Amino acid sequence: MEILKQIRYKPARVAGGYTDRILRVDLGSGEINIEKLPPDFKTKYTGGRGYALKAIWDGTTGQTRYDSPENILAIASGPLGNEPGFPGTGKFIVGTISPMTDTFIDSNVGGHFGPLSKLAGFDALAVTGISKEEVVILIDGDTHTITIAAAPQYDKETNNGALSYGDRLLKEVNDGQYSDCLAAVSAGRGALHSRYGVIHSLYYDIRRHRIRAKQAGRGGTGTVMRAKGLKSIVVRSGLPKANGNNPVDKKGVRAAGRALKQVISKADPTQLHLSAWGTTILSEYMDKFHIFPVDNYQYGQSPDSVKLFAHVFLDNYFSHRIPDGCYYGCNLACAKGAEKVALTRGPAGGRKVSIDGPEYETVGAVACMGIFDPQYVMEYNWYCDEYGIDVISTGVTTAFFMECFERGYLSVDDIGYELKFGSIAAADRLLHEIAGGRGFGRVVGQGVARGKKWVAKKYAARNKASRDEVMAELNKFGMEVKGLEFSMYITKESLAQQGGYGFSLKGPQHDEAWLIFIDQVYQELPTLEDKAAALKWFPLIRTWFNATGLCKLHWIDVRNPEAAATDEPSKNLPTLAHYVDYLNATTGSHKNIQDILDDSERLYILQKLINLRQGKGTRASDQLPLRAMAPAFFNEYQSRADYYDRWLGQNGGIKKLPASPKQRHKLLIERRRRDYQQLCDAVYELKGFTPDGKPKRETVARFALLDEQAKRLLDEMGV
Amino acid sequence: MIVSIEFLGMQRTMTGADSIEVPITKKSRVDDVLEYVRSNYPQLQLDEGMVLVTVNQEIAPRDRVLKPDDIISFLPFISGG
Repeated sequence: MEILKQIRYKPARVAGGYTDRILRVDLGSGEINIEKLPPDFKTKYTGGRGYALKAIWDGTTGQTRYDSPENILAIASGPLGNEPGFPGTGKFIVGTISPMTDTFIDSNVGGHFGPLSKLAGFDALAVTGISKEEVVILIDGDTHTITIAAAPQYDKETNNGALSYGDRLLKEVNDGQYSDCLAAVSAGRGALHSRYGVIHSLYYDIRRHRIRAKQAGRGGTGTVMRAKGLKSIVVRSGLPKANGNNPVDKKGVRAAGRALKQVISKADPTQLHLSAWGTTILSEYMDKFHIFPVDNYQYGQSPDSVKLFAHVFLDNYFSHRIPDGCYYGCNLACAKGAEKVALTRGPAGGRKVSIDGPEYETVGAVACMGIFDPQYVMEYNWYCDEYGIDVISTGVTTAFFMECFERGYLSVDDIGYELKFGSIAAADRLLHEIAGGRGFGRVVGQGVARGKKWVAKKYAARNKASRDEVMAELNKFGMEVKGLEFSMYITKESLAQQGGYGFSLKGPQHDEAWLIFIDQVYQELPTLEDKAAALKWFPLIRTWFNATGLCKLHWIDVRNPEAAATDEPSKNLPTLAHYVDYLNATTGSHKNIQDILDDSERLYILQKLINLRQGKGTRASDQLPLRAMAPAFFNEYQSRADYYDRWLGQNGGIKKLPASPKQRHKLLIERRRRDYQQLCDAVYELKGFTPDGKPKRETVARFALLDEQAKRLLDEMGV
Repeated sequence: MIVSIEFLGMQRTMTGADSIEVPITKKSRVDDVLEYVRSNYPQLQLDEGMVLVTVNQEIAPRDRVLKPDDIISFLPFISGG
């Protein structure tokens, strides 16, 4: 390997969950620096997302775009990551300015990279600059070196593959051996050609004896990585993983971990049973309650959905009886995988491959394209991973263009072939075109927001129509907000989740708030005030998980039986109490739940400021496509006409329903639009924002964020 | 008079059935049917803190009186990953 720059360093010891060091690498100048953080930094920014936000706020400007040299690729664990005694501590955050949204995006991902980075001496990495040649970074806590090296060249297939390349590199830097003392992040060929490239988190699974992959999937983090000329980062540390955080109170950590593990062991097997089925179990429940995003979110159910239910993958693909946690100590172990799956399509057709997944989101993305073939789900999963592109954005963007074709906005002349819902041949062809930057894939690789503009221009010119009018139609079913595609849930029937997606600072990804069942099914949020309160509380507590290096599933998807006796069971407070105990035992703090909500709110407001600076922080940026609120077209209304008429009768504020179905459909749309605007008003008020969705000056000041940049920004915004 | 019990997800695996039919009287309540399921499928955990009961896809209290042809299911808590 050709070394371009190397420094020696002394790894800082982890104490109370922190190293208090950030590794800064400038790929433009080749400079490598270790920044020692001031003592109050962790108090104010916690870790994970908080560290990434602070780096982006200080180091970029409103003009920074994903491929600007000053853009920062921040990778950060958190104080509570890296503890096998507590379940779900392998998470880390990748944060940057997104090629999709032009504002801050972060994606949380499991694996060993975050824990090993900390053991190698760093709470966070911040990569800036653009390299003239393709490079890799090696952080070696054992040899005490940090290296920028020319990216090793292998055969063409390996060089192009996000999985293959990272796998090969992890072996090469360790004398041809896999080891769980090493982990990597990598990006692939698809990230060069699309805006939604992912970053893989690669780690060695000692049970499956192979490298496994999880993804920082949303918002194009891999596209940023490849734009910097960076193919992979490898980290190594042979330090013991047990007590790796050197917690202040080891017994307290063990007690909190034991308590949470007991809840998981008792409750998960009788609830979702994620430990056996992974998140594919969700498909059945989403379909049952009209939430499965069939045909670009038009229909929430399909008679064919049963072909994609969890038992199909469990019976035919998943390896059985293997604990599949993505980090040591996790007894929820939802990271399911399959071995020796024979590919039947594409350039790797005929090969047998190992596949990590599918997760629910992958299954949903395939249903979104109207496809109900489990073998195609597996192959779509593998190809997206090997190319390094986001299964969600790929599926939703493809589905959008399928609908454009079916509604007559595009023709075979535009695409090159018939792109219809349910066509595996067309979807598969397009997938490879996206990854290779070929044919119509060059358009689809830009995502829905840019795709809408492309279609509007083409259609308006061809039909001598108004481009604005065409855009208005496309905005009804182009499923994006702020430039990011929706994750795989239909929100039409849950006003709270419409807010969960619309207000989400990064765009419509459910890791900020997922309130569909609480609202639509459990009916626990009957009033506008209840919904608004949930839209404040849940994003804050979820932010805390993303700041501390923790997986949320143990809290949010396994209901502690003791929660039933609390006032708000959906908050699962008895389980959260174990997390607070774990925090205090690790860091020596004496916090309660309100304290951590306050810590999170500071980060939330900082992210809001970045959005404001980047042009994505006002009420206009929180608006939803019509289909997220109501049946956008008459066919959708007709598919559940009785239900919608009943809804109008109960919620429409009218004495008598209009006579014609088309009038009822129109009225339904009006009511749903009105409701969402009322929700905006209630939520902004509760969050300390102006009616236009901007943070009030006193809100920013309350969290000690009113620095010079914030003052200027608020002045410019008239706040 | 009968109602249907629909088994979802892992319940289907544990019971080996997609659904079963349960005879009811005019006074039968959700709790009565729960008792029937518990006695026939003791492996299912149906305590209040573990599952929610739906009747015709709507959350139902356990003292709700059932009607013929109601469809009952037991829903785990789902709160999104």
